[in-house]
Amino acid sequence: MRRPAKTCPVCESGARVLDYKDDRTLGRFLTERGKILPSRLSGMCARHQRQLATAIKRARQLALIPYIKGHTA
Amino acid sequence: MTRRYETVYIFDSALEEAAINDKLTRFHALLTKEGKGTITNVSHWGKRTMTYKIKKKDVGYYVVAEFQATGDLLPEYERAVKLDEGVLRYMTVEAAREQPKPVVTAAVAADEDELDEEEA
Repeated sequence: MRRPAKTCPVCESGARVLDYKDDRTLGRFLTERGKILPSRLSGMCARHQRQLATAIKRARQLALIPYIKGHTA
Repeated sequence: MTRRYETVYIFDSALEEAAINDKLTRFHALLTKEGKGTITNVSHWGKRTMTYKIKKKDVGYYVVAEFQATGDLLPEYERAVKLDEGVLRYMTVEAAREQPKPVVTAAVAADEDELDEEEA
């Protein structure tokens, strides 16, 4: 059985660039522990997945999203 | 060559707003000297809880500055920012060519439902 083709959520929304300052959007593409969600699960196209990875890493540096969710030092 | 950059500063939230503005003026003077750069926009996000502690602080005062400058101004400017004790962290990046807009839409929400089924 063939699965229906998945569509990229970022392309669909009409946006072309992902912003590292937009932590709410980035939060949708993290696992419950704060890892980057693979494109296999999110349906993200390759271009946006690359942008997403960069954006998430930048947001982590600025403490907008955590490196590990639920981790307290 | 002039490029568009943006810097996100995280200031110590214990600082007064006036002190923060003073520092910003001082930093930005380094970027605008000799007419080599212009500050296009400065937006204050204000105090915000950081998702992890930086320099043992929980809360930071976020400021985003957008500017155009030649790259040779940046080392001196970044050195000044780095040496300032009131700045918990900063990051300068080349600004996106297009203005990003938030992606939070119904399309994404629908996609998430689909995800849940798949994971189950």
